[in-house]
Amino acid sequence: MTTATVPLASSAPSRADRIRRVVRLHLAAPSVFIGIPWLIVGIAFAVSVAIASIITVSGSDTSGMGYSWAVLSPQWYLVAVGVQAVGMTFPFALGFGVTRRDFWIGTSVLFTLLSIANAAAFTILVQLEKVTDHWWTGTYMFDTLWYGAGPWYHDFFSTFALQMFVFFIGAAATTLYMRWRVMGVLMAGVVFVALFLGAGLVVGLMGAWADVWTWMATFTVPGIFAAVLVAALLCAVGGYFVIRRATPRS
Amino acid sequence: MTDTATPVVRASGLTKTYGSFTAIDGIDLSFEENRIYGLLGRNGAGKTTIMQLLTGQIFPDGGRLEVFGREPAEHVDVLSRICFIAESQKYPDSFKPKHVLESAPLFFPHWSQGLADELIDEFRLPLNRPIKKLSRGQLSAVGVIVGLASRAPLTFFDEPYLGLDAVARTTFYDRLLTDYAEHPRTIVLSTHLIDEVSNLLEHIVLVDQGRILIDRDADEVRGSATTVAGTRDAVESFVAGREVIGRDGIGGLASVTFMGALDALQRREAHELGLELAPVSLQQLIVHLTGADLSAEKEVVS
Repeated sequence: MTTATVPLASSAPSRADRIRRVVRLHLAAPSVFIGIPWLIVGIAFAVSVAIASIITVSGSDTSGMGYSWAVLSPQWYLVAVGVQAVGMTFPFALGFGVTRRDFWIGTSVLFTLLSIANAAAFTILVQLEKVTDHWWTGTYMFDTLWYGAGPWYHDFFSTFALQMFVFFIGAAATTLYMRWRVMGVLMAGVVFVALFLGAGLVVGLMGAWADVWTWMATFTVPGIFAAVLVAALLCAVGGYFVIRRATPRS
Repeated sequence: MTDTATPVVRASGLTKTYGSFTAIDGIDLSFEENRIYGLLGRNGAGKTTIMQLLTGQIFPDGGRLEVFGREPAEHVDVLSRICFIAESQKYPDSFKPKHVLESAPLFFPHWSQGLADELIDEFRLPLNRPIKKLSRGQLSAVGVIVGLASRAPLTFFDEPYLGLDAVARTTFYDRLLTDYAEHPRTIVLSTHLIDEVSNLLEHIVLVDQGRILIDRDADEVRGSATTVAGTRDAVESFVAGREVIGRDGIGGLASVTFMGALDALQRREAHELGLELAPVSLQQLIVHLTGADLSAEKEVVS
C-alpha cells in the first residue's frame, strides 16, 4: 500500500472536462431528460392514432386533427425538467465541488444539445408523417399547428427555439429561488406582470391597439420563434448572473 | 514534498449573518494538512454553516477566508480538492445511490472504486432503490461512502452517523482510520457523539452560538479538566480557588469538574480526603462548557 501524501499541487481539470462532467451528471439518470419526454410523445402518439381510428371508423375526415396540440405534449414536462436541474442537481453538484459558473455553462450546453436533438427528431417525424400519408391511418400528430406548413427548417428552428425556451425559463426562474427564495420569484413575477400591464397601458393611451393587431398579423413562424429564442437566451444570460451568487437551502 | 507551513484552511473574523441572526460571529480558524478535525457543538451552533463557508456553498458576510490559499467559492482549483456531502444533502429526485456513485468518480480525481465497492457491501446499501425511499441510515451511508472513497484532500463529514446502527458506525470509524493512515488527508467531522469519535479526532474545534469556545489538540483538551467526587465538604474544600466548570450533587455528595490536571502530590491529597478522581471525557467537558447535555441527541442515532 502506498503512503503517499495527497498532492497539494494536483492540477485542476480543464474547462472542457468540467463542462462535460456536468452534462454527464445531469444525464446520470437519463430518464428525466430523454426517457420520460419521449414516453410522453409515445403515449400522445398512441392516443392520436386511437382518435384518428375512431374518427375514421365513424366515417369522418381526420384533417381537423391538424389543430391537435399533441405535438407539444412533452414541452410542459420539460419546464419541470429545467426547474429540477437547478432545484435539485445544482445543490448536489455543489457538494461535488462544481463551481456555479461551470454548472450553468454545462447545463446550458446540455439544454442546447437536447434542443438540437429534439428539433431534428421532430423535423424528421413531421416529414415521415407526410411521407407515410399520416401513418397510413390519417393520424395528425406532428404535421399539425404550424408544423409542416413551411419548409423543414422552419420546423427545426421553431422546435429548437421552443425547447430552449422551456428549459431555460424553468431553470432561470429556479435560479431566482435559489438566490432570493420565494421573495425573489414573487418579485420577478410582479415585475413581469407590471411590465406587461405598463405596455398595455401605453398602447391604450396612444390608442394604438388597432395598429398592434395589424402588426401582430404580420408575424411569421420564423419571426415568432426568433423572439422565443431571444427570450430563451435572455433567460440563459440572466440565469448565469443570478446563479453566480445562489446558495443551496440549508 | 508538501508545504505544511501553509494551512489548508485559514479564516479570520469569518462572519455569516442571516438577516438579524448572526450564525457565525467572527471566528478564526486554521486547519493544517493531513489531520482529523472534530467540529463539535450543539444543534444550531453553526457547524454546518462553517462547513458551507469553507466549501464555498455559501458566501461569508465578513472576514477573510482562504482554503488551499484562496477563497473557495467559484475557484475550481480549490473546489476540486474538496468533498462535502451535507447531512441534509439534496439529491436529484430521479437519482438512486448507483447514480451518485457512478457520477462521483468524474469529480474526484483520487476516487477509489475498490474502497467504494467494499463500503457498499459493508453498509449493505441498496444501489437501485430511489434515494427518496432510503432510510436515514442508508442516506447517511451514501454520504459516508462518497466522502471516504473520494479521498479528497479536504473531506467534510457532516453528522455522518445519523441513523447508522452501531455496526455501521464502527465500520465508518474503522474505515476512516485505516484509509486515513494509508492516504493522509485533512478530514473535518462534525458530530454530537463526541466520546464515540474522540479517539479519531486529533484536533477539536468546539463551536457554540457561532463562536469558537475551544480550538485545541484533542489530547490537550482531554487532560485539561478533572472531576473529583466525594462528600460535599471535602470536594468543595479541595476545589477552592480552582476554575470550576461544572457542579453536580445529591444530598451530601458532590461531583465537581474543574479546569486543569492534578500532579502526583495533589492526587495523593485528594485520595487522603477520600475523593475519587476521574479524567473528564470530552463529552462531559463539552457538556460542561456549553451548558447543556449534547447526549440528548443520542436518541436520534439509535
